[in-house]
Amino acid sequence: MARPEIYKFFSEYVYKHTGILYKENDYYRLDSRFNTLVKDLEVKDVDELYNLYIQKITPAMHTALIDLCTNNETYFMRDLKPFKALAKEGVEYLKETFGQVLKYNFWSAASSTGQEPYSILMALESFGTNFDLNKIDMNASDISTEALKKAKSGTYTGLEVQRGLPANLLIKYFDQVENDWKLKSEIMSRVRFSEFNLLTGVFKSNHYHVIFCRNVLIYQDVENKKKILKEICNSLKPGGLLFMGAGESLIGVDIPMKQMELGKAYCYVKQSS
Amino acid sequence: MKVLVVDDSKPIFMMVSQMLEELGHQAVWAENGQDAIEKINENADFELVLLDWNMPVMDGLEFLVKNGTESFCPAPIVMMTTENKPEKIQEALKNGAVDYIMKPFTADILENKIEMVCD
Repeated sequence: MARPEIYKFFSEYVYKHTGILYKENDYYRLDSRFNTLVKDLEVKDVDELYNLYIQKITPAMHTALIDLCTNNETYFMRDLKPFKALAKEGVEYLKETFGQVLKYNFWSAASSTGQEPYSILMALESFGTNFDLNKIDMNASDISTEALKKAKSGTYTGLEVQRGLPANLLIKYFDQVENDWKLKSEIMSRVRFSEFNLLTGVFKSNHYHVIFCRNVLIYQDVENKKKILKEICNSLKPGGLLFMGAGESLIGVDIPMKQMELGKAYCYVKQSS
Repeated sequence: MKVLVVDDSKPIFMMVSQMLEELGHQAVWAENGQDAIEKINENADFELVLLDWNMPVMDGLEFLVKNGTESFCPAPIVMMTTENKPEKIQEALKNGAVDYIMKPFTADILENKIEMVCD
């Protein structure tokens, strides 16, 4: 247990920079994060940690705190249906809607440790009609530098690859490296990762054909959720698709997007203005 | 769902059985491939088989190969083994396993594999 002003200081800092809200009854979730920071920054205790942060927050201290306070929970083919739907009905929809384009621009907006963008590419090639991945410009971003580091390494433990990934895709796309599994470069090299803060970043306008932004807005308050979704909508081309998490929706958000049933999944389509 | 767990280790069966029960399924134990064939012949309503590789009397691969020629097991078969080399996974899939679980694994991996296989 830390002093109330310490919880308040750190929760406000995290909210300001990520939009992630630690309410008073969530303060206990900061304790383990404080302990990690105390160890990593080699200070005596939480009080000393607080004193350090209120004096000056260096970029390294900022990154350490943000990395710890973001939730990087993810796994391959999470919820499966959106990936199957995208690979089959989604590809047909994109061809019909956008005709012959040089490339389809995809964005995994909160890609965490990389499973989502890699899953999209594996699904497009393996679940559908052997879609040519050269036609995809796959972008992925996250706020956490630690998560991005792991994503770029393309290396996962045996437990991580088994969460969501069928064995046929494991042996098709991964090489075993000692006890871990490393993605083959034919998939890894197709994803461009970058650091991006959905609250403060400058979004590309009218650029993407498909955006995945799943299981991230649930951690935001209503105002931030609206702000991010407006930017995402603006970032999509008219007719572009937005995939959200299973428990997320656009209810209460006034943007020109309509829900659409796509195979066994649901997504949102940006309406033409 | 009734699941046939084929593993020569009773403690592993107990662990898997508990995981399955918590997911709302019922586990039946077979000690090896031969025992599994007998259990399937006695009771054909298994909806999934979780199959270890290394077992006495009849191992997992022998079970798969025999099923490939005799088709006695209508349920999907998922390997569940400490064998974790890509060539072993390939061999099991080639011989009829629909998926593969490498030990050690967690309850959510088992749940996830069941969802994928039975979807």
